[in-house]
Amino acid sequence: MGRAVCVIGRDDGSRLADTARCLFFGRRKTYQKHLGTDQSSRAVAKLTHLEAIHNTKPGSVVDIPGPPTRFGSAVNDIAEGFRQNWLWVRLAHQDMRLRYRGSVLGPLWQTLTTAIMIGAIGLIYAKLFHTELEDYLPMLAVGLILWQFSAGMITEGCSTFDSVRGIIQQVKLPFSLHAYRLVYRNILVLAHSLVIVPIVLIIFPHPIDWLRLLELGPGFVLIAINGVAVSILLGMISARFRDVPPIVANIVQVVFFITPIMWPPSALGEYNWSVTLNPLYPVIDVIRAPLLGQPTEPHSWTILIMVTAANCAVSFLFFSRFRSRIAFWV
Amino acid sequence: MSFLRLRNVSVEFPIYHGSSRSLKKVLLASSTRGNLARDARDRINVRALNEVSFEVRDGERFALIGPNGAGKTTLLKVLAGVFEPTHGRFASSGQVCSLLDTSVGLNADATGYENIILRGMYMGLRPRDMRERAAAVAEFSELGDYLEMPVRTYSAGMMVRLSFAISTCVPPDILIMDEWLTAGDAQFLAKAQLRIEEFVRNSSILVLASHSMELVEQWCTRGILLHQGRVSTMGPIKEVVAAYRRLTDASMPQQDFASVASAV
Repeated sequence: MGRAVCVIGRDDGSRLADTARCLFFGRRKTYQKHLGTDQSSRAVAKLTHLEAIHNTKPGSVVDIPGPPTRFGSAVNDIAEGFRQNWLWVRLAHQDMRLRYRGSVLGPLWQTLTTAIMIGAIGLIYAKLFHTELEDYLPMLAVGLILWQFSAGMITEGCSTFDSVRGIIQQVKLPFSLHAYRLVYRNILVLAHSLVIVPIVLIIFPHPIDWLRLLELGPGFVLIAINGVAVSILLGMISARFRDVPPIVANIVQVVFFITPIMWPPSALGEYNWSVTLNPLYPVIDVIRAPLLGQPTEPHSWTILIMVTAANCAVSFLFFSRFRSRIAFWV
Repeated sequence: MSFLRLRNVSVEFPIYHGSSRSLKKVLLASSTRGNLARDARDRINVRALNEVSFEVRDGERFALIGPNGAGKTTLLKVLAGVFEPTHGRFASSGQVCSLLDTSVGLNADATGYENIILRGMYMGLRPRDMRERAAAVAEFSELGDYLEMPVRTYSAGMMVRLSFAISTCVPPDILIMDEWLTAGDAQFLAKAQLRIEEFVRNSSILVLASHSMELVEQWCTRGILLHQGRVSTMGPIKEVVAAYRRLTDASMPQQDFASVASAV
C-alpha cells in the first residue's frame, strides 16, 4: 500500500472534512499544499481507515492509505482468499454433492471408474510389457490416480474463473478463492480414488518403509500449491483467450503418454534420463516412490521445487498485472 | 456511517470476442450509444463510464437512470466492487449487498433451500447462522414447498422473490439493485418496497437503476441521469426524471411510419 502522511488542520469541522476529502481524492501535491497552510500543530496518529479521518481531532497527523498497488492488491487477494477457507471448503463439498446428485453410488463412481480403468489397463499392459502383474499394477494404480489428480487440476484450471462467471459479476470475492475451491474439490476427488491404493498394496504386498511415508506430506502440499498457481494462471489466460482450453486439453492428453505412468522409466533403457526433462514426472515420482518402497529419482525433489517456484512466480506476475481485468474477461 | 463516493471514475474495457472490425460496425449501427475508440493494437475499446463523480450518503435512496447502454449496469458493478475503475477513485464504507441479476449467484441444480444457505455463504454468513434465518427467508419469499425443488424449475418471478428474500434477510448498509426487481408481481413489489423503506429509515443506502420512471419517482429521493457514460444531470429525483423525459423525447426517432409499415 502506497501511503502519504498529511496534517489535518486545527480549523473547524467543515474545513476539516473538506481537507480530508481533498486529501483522499487529491494527489500527493494537494496534500502538500495543505501541509503548508496547516502545519501549526501535529500529533501522530496512524489510521488506516479513511472514514476515521472525519472523526479525527484537528491537529493530528493522519496516515492515509494511498491507492493500493497492483502488487499489494494481488498479495491481499491471495491471503484474503485463503483466510476465507470456511467458504471454499464448503463450496467444494457442495460441488461434489451437486455433481453426483440423483446418482445411487454418488462419489463412489469416482472410485469405481478408476478401479475399472486400473484393472483393465493393468491386465493388458502387464502382458504387453512382459512384467509381473504384482509389480505392474501397484505402479500403474498410484501413477494413474496421481495423473488424474494433476491433469484434473490443469484442465479444470482453464475454467477457474469462467465457471463462476455469475459469482464474479455479482459478488466481490477474492479471485484466488475460486482457485482454492477448485484445488480443494480435486483433493476431494483424489481422496475417493486414493482408497484403491491400500487395496492394491494389500493384494500385491510390497515392503513398505513407514518412515518414508512422511515424504507424502510435503509431496502433496507442493502439488496442491502448483495446482493453485496453475489454475489461477490458466484460468486467467483461458478467460482472455478462448482457444486455450482446447489447446491445454490436447497437450494434457499427449503428455499422459510421454510421462512414465503406464510404463516404468527403466523401460526407456539408456534414454531413461529423458524423463527428468518432463516437469510432470517428479509430481508422480515423489509420491509413487515412497508408496512403493522404491528410491526416488535423485533430482525429483529439486525439480519439483524449482517447477513450483517458477509456476508461482509466473502465475503471480500475471495475477498482479491483470487481476482487475478478470471481471471484464469472463 | 455508510457512504459511496466516486471521483472521476472511468471504466474502459477492450472487447475481444469476434472480429473487432465487424463488431465495430455492429455497435456503431445500433442504437447503443457507448463511446468506442480504437487503441494502438486495433482493438475496440468501450468507455462505459466517463469521469463519473458523485457521493451518496446515509439514508439516501439514489436512482441511476439513462437510456440503454448509458452505463448504468457498469456503474452498479463499480458500486458493488465487482469492477475496479480503470481511472479515478471509488471509496465506500458499509456492507454492500448487490442484486444485479436474478439468477446470478443461485445454483440452478440446487434446491431453493440449499440456495438460501449457498447465497448466504457468498454474503459472508456461515451456514449455521443462515439456517436460523432460513425460515424467515422462506416466509418472506412465500415460496413454500417450492423451496424443496431445484431452482432450475422456478419462474423468473419466483427467482426474484427468492433472491430478494435472501439478499435482504440481513439488513445491508448499502443495497444496490438493478431494474430486474420489476419482474416480481405487484403484491411482492409492495412488500419489497416496505422492507427497503425500513432499511433506509435505519440509515442505509439504496441505489436503484431502472427504466421505470414511476418506480424511481416512488422509491428514490435523488439521482443521476447517465448519458453515454457521463453524468448529464444530478439532483432531486423530479429534476432528473424531467431531464430523462426531455432526452428520450428529443432522441425519439421521427420515423415515417408508413414506410415502416410497407417494409413489414
